[in-house]
Amino acid sequence: MTRSTQPSSDYRSPQTTSTAPGVLCIAVLPKAVFDSGKEVVSFQLYWLQGELPQVGSPAELMAETEFGMAVKEVLSDVLIEELWCAQPEHRSDWLESWKRQGFSLFAERQFQPGVTDNLARTVEEALRMKEVMVTVASGTGFLFREGSEKGRQKPDSLVEAGKYTYYHPLTDKFVVHRTDADETKFLTFPAVHLPQPLPPATVSLDLDDDGLIALSQQRLLALNLNEMKAIKGHFLDGQLRTIRAARGLPQWPTDVELEVIAQTWSEHCKHKIFAATIEHVDATKSELQKFMIRSLYKTYIQKPTFDLMNKRQDLLSVFEDNSGVVRWNNEWAVCFKVETHNSPSALEPYGGALTGILGVNRDVLGTGLGAKPIFNTDIFCFAYPSDKLANRPKLLPPKTILDGVRKGVQDGGNKSGIPTVNGAIFFDDAYRGKPLVFCGTGGLLPTTVHKKYGFKKHTMIGDTIVVVGGRVGKDGIHGATFSSESLHEGSPVSAVQIGDPFTQKRVLDFIIEARDRGLITGITDNGAGGLSSSVGEMARITNGATLELDNIPLKYPGLSDYEIVISESQERMTISTRSFAELKRLAERYNVEATSIGSFHTKGNFEITRHGRPVGLLDLEFLHNGCPTLQLQSEWRPPLIEEKWGTVGDYNRALLSLLSRPNICSREQVIRQYDHEVQGSSVIKPLMGPHQQAPCDAAVFRPLYEEDAGLVVSNGICPNLSKYDAYVMAIGAVDEAVRNAVCVGADPSTIVLLDNFCWPDPIQSERNPDGKYKLAQLVRTCEALSDIIYAYGTPLISGKDSMKNDFDDGVVRLSVPPTLLVSAMGRIPQAENALSMDFKSCGDLIYILCAGGLALAGTEYAAMQEWESTMIPKIDLKRARDMYYKLHETMMRGWVKSCHDVSEGGVAVALGESIIGSGLGAEIELSALQQAALAYSPSHVGSNAQLLNGEDFALFAEGPARLIITVPPELKQEWENLWIGYSCTLIGEVVQTEALLVKTADGGELMNASYTDMVAAWKTPLPFD
Amino acid sequence: MIKPKAFVLCGDGINCDAETIWALNQAGFVPTRVHTSEILETPRKLMTAQLLALPGGFSFGDEIASGKVLALKLKEKLKDVLYDYIERGSLVLGICNGFQVLTQLGLLPNSKPSAPRTVSLTHNNSGKFINKWVELEISPFSSSTFFEGLTTIHLPVRHGEGRLVLDAEASPQTIEQVKKRAVLRYAEDINGSYDRIAALTNERGNVLGLMPHPEAFVRWSQHPAWTLSKFPTRSEKAGLKVTVSPAFGIPHGLSILMNAAKAVR
Repeated sequence: MTRSTQPSSDYRSPQTTSTAPGVLCIAVLPKAVFDSGKEVVSFQLYWLQGELPQVGSPAELMAETEFGMAVKEVLSDVLIEELWCAQPEHRSDWLESWKRQGFSLFAERQFQPGVTDNLARTVEEALRMKEVMVTVASGTGFLFREGSEKGRQKPDSLVEAGKYTYYHPLTDKFVVHRTDADETKFLTFPAVHLPQPLPPATVSLDLDDDGLIALSQQRLLALNLNEMKAIKGHFLDGQLRTIRAARGLPQWPTDVELEVIAQTWSEHCKHKIFAATIEHVDATKSELQKFMIRSLYKTYIQKPTFDLMNKRQDLLSVFEDNSGVVRWNNEWAVCFKVETHNSPSALEPYGGALTGILGVNRDVLGTGLGAKPIFNTDIFCFAYPSDKLANRPKLLPPKTILDGVRKGVQDGGNKSGIPTVNGAIFFDDAYRGKPLVFCGTGGLLPTTVHKKYGFKKHTMIGDTIVVVGGRVGKDGIHGATFSSESLHEGSPVSAVQIGDPFTQKRVLDFIIEARDRGLITGITDNGAGGLSSSVGEMARITNGATLELDNIPLKYPGLSDYEIVISESQERMTISTRSFAELKRLAERYNVEATSIGSFHTKGNFEITRHGRPVGLLDLEFLHNGCPTLQLQSEWRPPLIEEKWGTVGDYNRALLSLLSRPNICSREQVIRQYDHEVQGSSVIKPLMGPHQQAPCDAAVFRPLYEEDAGLVVSNGICPNLSKYDAYVMAIGAVDEAVRNAVCVGADPSTIVLLDNFCWPDPIQSERNPDGKYKLAQLVRTCEALSDIIYAYGTPLISGKDSMKNDFDDGVVRLSVPPTLLVSAMGRIPQAENALSMDFKSCGDLIYILCAGGLALAGTEYAAMQEWESTMIPKIDLKRARDMYYKLHETMMRGWVKSCHDVSEGGVAVALGESIIGSGLGAEIELSALQQAALAYSPSHVGSNAQLLNGEDFALFAEGPARLIITVPPELKQEWENLWIGYSCTLIGEVVQTEALLVKTADGGELMNASYTDMVAAWKTPLPFD
Repeated sequence: MIKPKAFVLCGDGINCDAETIWALNQAGFVPTRVHTSEILETPRKLMTAQLLALPGGFSFGDEIASGKVLALKLKEKLKDVLYDYIERGSLVLGICNGFQVLTQLGLLPNSKPSAPRTVSLTHNNSGKFINKWVELEISPFSSSTFFEGLTTIHLPVRHGEGRLVLDAEASPQTIEQVKKRAVLRYAEDINGSYDRIAALTNERGNVLGLMPHPEAFVRWSQHPAWTLSKFPTRSEKAGLKVTVSPAFGIPHGLSILMNAAKAVR
């Protein structure tokens, strides 16, 4: 058995030991792990490749050389671990030993070649500190006890059964060995082997329509015929041909050029659907209405904000940078951006979510001259794991998605030192095909840096282009259109990316310092499209850039030029600077790689060179404005939904069931695994109160320690209403975001919003027969956004759309419901005026304040009872706005003791949450509750009368612009006078008895739910690990 | 009065440097942010400070083991200076990841150059990261200057590897020493830590490593139950009780740091 022993003192010095190339495999096992009796034991594995001292057996190597001692010190903790070592192919004696310990199977997991291996990179760096120069790969070993469920399996079946539990087939190799096997093939070092890259090729566009489409598909360009024809037309231009010939370029584009155009024109970068000309048909009324929309974005998103800008002097940079920027005070500005990473998270949830959060961090870092990320938000839409869900070979198990995404966001936020302050998890089976993973980040940046605006870019002619951070590999090349056929042994995995939060944290620290020293004139991140997008975009500032491919640092050799240009390898920022030498010196101190890769000019083109000769020369005007506008059609017909409801007697049970539902129950197990307090600025945390279980409506924290003002962050999302009318869904989302922010104390006149659309494909096609309807839903969502933004005076400062959230394997098509996430950011002048939602004192009066009508459509209650109602919630936008402004004033006067928004589960659940949060109780009058429930109800009660008068309607119906507020009894008169003309109903009071008691007019108890029962129901665990 | 000087280490994945600087400033120090590269270039510069803070964070991404690689990095060039510094009586404060670095360096609970490493901080029993405010008991036998005047305190924990473990072959004397130098214990077991230990100090009491974050409780509005404090009429219930307003005293984290400042002033 090759096991290392304690190092002897007379080890041989390295000078006298010869070395030879080799590979060593190391296992680090917790001490006494075999005595634990566990059925499965897991431990760390490493493969070390390099010049190894030649001293006989591996045991001697470990015990007798400085090399061995260094490896032992770095890889194991002698207090709690022991280290095993062998040549990878000679591990049969390990098997023998494990067999004696009662294990029948040994499995080893290792990353596929080229997959980001953060642990291995750190081990290499640590070993370098000990002057050991080797290349490292990391992995995991698993031992399965003989006779146990897994240990009884055949190796092949364990490989199948262990998928997603022990390994992910896209990123990992996984091999199982029998411990009694005479001969078995162990994994060795996962080196990347690539053939010599081909020089740039010319791609002829001298093709007919079919040929152009075939080319687009074959090269995964994702361009349609019109777009391909536009490119062909461009290159047919005679003058261009002369210019190209003079620079030694062919008439037709090189593969580098074609790929750059495809990236720049991609839906992801260009937002073609939001820019499209849409012929919209509205069939709501008996006669059809038809009108043309020239760009949803310009009409409904940009215009309202631009119109509001006259009144909002605080908007410093909207829609133009990587995030929206708002003034905070004279010296500082705050910015905010939310991104989605849905497709990557569907493929590999951990890497997808991790790169999602790290990517949006870079958006903030790449805003203006660089902003420091100060908070993260995360909102997930998942299918709740159950047997009901569709199960297709290409779909990951639902729980695998949940756990991977959650862990990815945890590592991304925690390891970067950015608090995850706000979030939401929404479950609906319709997210089975694509989970939605929204990652948001806010940042802080100085308004001026060395006498220049910090929220603008100041790139000038002659500035050097610098790439800093990670190296370029095949990561994320054509990631969205990933095809598994191209995978072979030794080929790096290109579609899947795993982030490296540690490298990015170093980059982050460096950039803030470089910014403050005035070394940065412009900065942007490398996300979708890699350098082609980052340099191509920045080139617009000076009207030209030259990108030199020769010095770009690569992870491994063998990348062709076009791959280098479009690779989406993570953790890279592109900077423009006038002082490269100084920047590089600083980078070295921060252990960050910084490389000069070209310069900015004013020639009107984006030039890409290799050895000083162009391999691409693209006209900037054509590149950025040459993409033809899409022409689309939409058609809105209100959906036909059949009504269905009944009656319920046991309201106690209904409340407890609601509290335990996945869309309502406590998020504590997720929240606690996110560091939501790092940076030390939190004021209102996700969970507050004496038992740290009061679920707060929004986050409040201090962006600047020395200032009293607090920043408020909240979100709103109600895709449950999309199937009734996307207009109502959008109103609901905006109102919810604003309402949540106001609940904790945000001044409504300071609120700014972000929109994130995640849509099923809204372009009609054979596989997508209701595309026109989905586009009409998009139109209605945009109309609603515009209406409510004008009414509330809350501008949109940034946003993003993701328009292809469908899973389609040729048999089954699974589309997400149209989903709009609205994120809000506001200001509270004195952070210590902020409110939490838990009840505060016995005797406080409980009011319902509202400016909208309740309904059952899309509610948790209806879903629980499997009821359907077409009555949709209403809102008086003007009234709601005034109500929020007035409420804010009273809060700042100190009149309000708690405020909680009514959302999923209605008033009863909201009251229940305030009780859970405080450990106090509430006594409520049913008649008052019913009176409040009828406020703003539809005038045409008719067939709905029975429903509206039901007790359950008062308890569980949901609707916008509705709040539960507690006020001290001594303020009763003043409070009620203040709200004359509004719907403000006294429904009961806070009591010592720990229960929610709803009393009927005759003194009976309609509901009496105890605190203990409610806490138990609410703490029903979600299916996360 | 001259304010004591503090160095706050940053870089390489440390991420609580900003709030640690702010908190030390509030406590009466003049803190300076020092990058790991800088301190390794000129280790003797450390001698100009009265307190060295190793803040929380994820140095080197917590890869291999938390605190391990930063400890390796500091060990070669800084450890000798650090012994002199500690010997002189200056303060070393390792918070969370900083505590992990101190145990990896073998400076706790015994910071003599000859002392072997006896404790490690490893994965919580649950296997999960946890961010939660906890109640902590201060050892009545504590000689540490950091906790003067305090008995029970509230601080947040934010860690995945906060379980203190002893060498399996630890002698009774070692065990005795660890227990004696455990200045803070969790009121309730939260991570499986040996003897509910949340913090360790050295023989002289001038090196402190703790998993909870004192820099995260320097004003009352950081406490999860602070919103109750605005309404003093509320009757007392079980759970974390807060008593806010100036009359309620100094936030516990700030107290700890102020004690440190007092000790080296």
